[in-house]
Amino acid sequence: MRIVHYLNQFYAGLGGEETAGIGPRMLDGTVGPGRLLAQLLGDQHQIIATIVCGDNHAASNATAAQELLDLARGAGAELLVAGPAFGSGRYGLACARLVAAADAAGLPALATMHPDNPGITDAGAAPVVAAGATAREMRPTLRRVAAAIAKLATGATLTAQDGRVVKAARIGRLVEQRAAARAVELVLRRLGGDQQSTEVPVGGFDAVEPAAPVDKLASATVALVTEAAVVPAGNPDRLESARATRWLRYPIEGIDALASGEWESVAGGFATTAANADPNRVLPLDAARTLEREGAIGRLHGEFMVTVGNGTPVATARRFGVEWAAELRKAGVQAAILTAT
Amino acid sequence: MERSGIPTAVITNLVTIAEQVGAPRIVPGRGIPYPSGDPSLSPQAEQAWRRRLVQRALDAVATAVEHPTIFEVDVVERADA
Amino acid sequence: MPALRRIVHQIHSLEIGVSTRYEQHHLVVGRDRAQALFEDPALASVRVHIAAPGDPVRIIAPLDVVEPRSKGPAGGAFPGWMAPVNRKRGGDIHVLRGAAVLAAGFLPRNQEGLIDMSGPAAQLSPFGRTNNIVIEFDRADGASWQEAEIALRRGLLRVAVHLADAAVDAAPDTVEELAPPHRPGTPTGGLPRVGVITNLQTQGAFKDVFVYGRSMAGSLPTLFDPAEIEDGAVVSGQYGHPALRNPTYLHQNHPVIAELRARDGRDLHFAGVVLCPEPVQQGDKELVSTHAAWLCRAAGFDAAIVTKEGAGNADNDLMLKVDALEADDLTAVALYAEMSGADGTGPPLVAGPRRGAIVSTGNYDQRVALPAVERALGGTRLRIADADATAAVEVPTAAILSALSPLGAGRLTCRPDEQLAGLQLGETA
Repeated sequence: MRIVHYLNQFYAGLGGEETAGIGPRMLDGTVGPGRLLAQLLGDQHQIIATIVCGDNHAASNATAAQELLDLARGAGAELLVAGPAFGSGRYGLACARLVAAADAAGLPALATMHPDNPGITDAGAAPVVAAGATAREMRPTLRRVAAAIAKLATGATLTAQDGRVVKAARIGRLVEQRAAARAVELVLRRLGGDQQSTEVPVGGFDAVEPAAPVDKLASATVALVTEAAVVPAGNPDRLESARATRWLRYPIEGIDALASGEWESVAGGFATTAANADPNRVLPLDAARTLEREGAIGRLHGEFMVTVGNGTPVATARRFGVEWAAELRKAGVQAAILTAT
Repeated sequence: MERSGIPTAVITNLVTIAEQVGAPRIVPGRGIPYPSGDPSLSPQAEQAWRRRLVQRALDAVATAVEHPTIFEVDVVERADA
Repeated sequence: MPALRRIVHQIHSLEIGVSTRYEQHHLVVGRDRAQALFEDPALASVRVHIAAPGDPVRIIAPLDVVEPRSKGPAGGAFPGWMAPVNRKRGGDIHVLRGAAVLAAGFLPRNQEGLIDMSGPAAQLSPFGRTNNIVIEFDRADGASWQEAEIALRRGLLRVAVHLADAAVDAAPDTVEELAPPHRPGTPTGGLPRVGVITNLQTQGAFKDVFVYGRSMAGSLPTLFDPAEIEDGAVVSGQYGHPALRNPTYLHQNHPVIAELRARDGRDLHFAGVVLCPEPVQQGDKELVSTHAAWLCRAAGFDAAIVTKEGAGNADNDLMLKVDALEADDLTAVALYAEMSGADGTGPPLVAGPRRGAIVSTGNYDQRVALPAVERALGGTRLRIADADATAAVEVPTAAILSALSPLGAGRLTCRPDEQLAGLQLGETA
């Protein structure tokens, strides 16, 4: 099989964060981790080209995936592999979108990233093979990926056996006992020493690697973002009041405070009267401007980004987070203040 | 966003949920429907409090943390300040 | 405290007639009398209907549901509403089991729900299987919705007492002795002392639950006599999230208390009931939860089952209580509904505890296909599906009244079902 491999700017050796804005391009043959992958694939398959895009560009341009796909097909790709993105959100998102587009266009494709990568939800019907959490696990990850490619190349479907990330669905069912009786049963079991039984997994907290702190706040650009659904009065762009499917952005350049009557919160799930009486109660623009004037920060970013948190699935919220980060990095913003309801 | 290298201070009343989802920098707000507001205060007192809140949020993004950390604003005062 | 006895009369059928009468499991509801009991300046008119299990009827926008109960001529049921709070406790309470009185119709801040008396949704709501007296109503011009809501509540409680009164002299089907919880210090013979903490919503108008006629907002948790709950001391004025609502009927028939009683003396000692408000502010939630755990410990509980009312906000209170109980070395189990999305692949909980164990009462988002029905009560349009009230529709489980009962009345749960992401139907793994 003739394989095209997708990498981000970093793994392609084109630079780090500073080149995260570069657009889609193609390089001949194998690059970076592609070399090891090619070795593991043996003679059966060849990586004929490597396509690359900057993480920020990929995460914030809806057309990037199609452009990359066109490059791959132009090179004669019979199969596409993207990643490993490990835990990198923007990279994972880019890989997922690319393989989803490929799959939809009938080109066999697989992405590889850590199962917790927030970008994973965008892979559509394309298989995602589990990668380790960090690049330290490059070798075992690529071994698994090579095997998966070989299998995919035969036209077979990948399964959990192949390291494919499967989403366990929780299906509602009617059972014999009512919930109250099951609760008593469960209490008695636990009192009897059973520490494992539960109908829903308990604990399991997300571990987020904190970003490094801002070095010089007084010269930093800070952005305000919110999931409290703050929009111009009348909600002209129709942001949903629950279960967000998108996010929006509004300019605040030259505005010192959010005036009541000009802005409103359209969030469902709670009473918005206090927020609408003074929208600064959900997006603290007035206080941020004051602090900007006093020199506490260098500059307040000229727009804010908004979505609604009410009822929005965690996966969607995480994806928005990745997209917002891409926007902010592109704009040179160094920190953010997020108001959450 | 933290994972992508942008230190982010989350202002919210539901502190425990923020901890649960792993937000490293949490600044407690005073009410679910108004994270950066407090309608129980007079307008001047509320603005003064909001300024301290945002100041604290800035402190948070300028502070190195290892795990979910709560950056408190004031010791409780409910009534008109 | 004197003991309470439930005198149970089983209702198998209902009809509307000229005067109220009970005979051999059949209840006749006197239309004029029932309507008269709703007379109030805030209500222009009411209409009395029957909806029995199996009927091709859909009840739209159901409001509160009450089980007909009465303590006979001396009264005493529903203290704070129908009876003075300081009345003689204990004695006999007559119950028309299998019947329910409910109001249905538009009320602001009522999230529109439904009950199907036939079809797949009938077994998802406890009220798809009760013989229902359904009251439709019109608010009077010039009356506020709040006044109308109070009028409805009074009417429902009056009718509930009135109907049960009809059976007071009839031979009972069963007599159930309700023993009080065991006092701490009573020898248990090695059995664990297990109690229940029930959280009540306390968010103001249309989102409040009354104890002795008063809101618990601002209160601290309290130990509470389960016999008083039997007597109707807890009455619902809360109308959010239909599937997660605890109508008065489910407090009167508190499932967890019932299950603890069922195993009392055999596998456990029923240790008591704690009622708590569900505050809206984080700081208050924490205080209430810490205090609740302390109270359970002081009352000698070894374990507590925790129930809630409401959706995500209420999950916070559940989480804090379970964590506080477990930190105090008490075993805690909470009843949660999951919100894993329509395909069930989303994370089930946002605010789950660090320790303890959880019983699932089903998936809020799971879709249910409902067939068309012949008649609808409570409205002509099902707004959540933007369809005619009698039409075939698909709704999330969230819309079916008490389907995800946080008090544990339902038989729904969620089980993990391995599925390949994006796999097409028919493809083999």
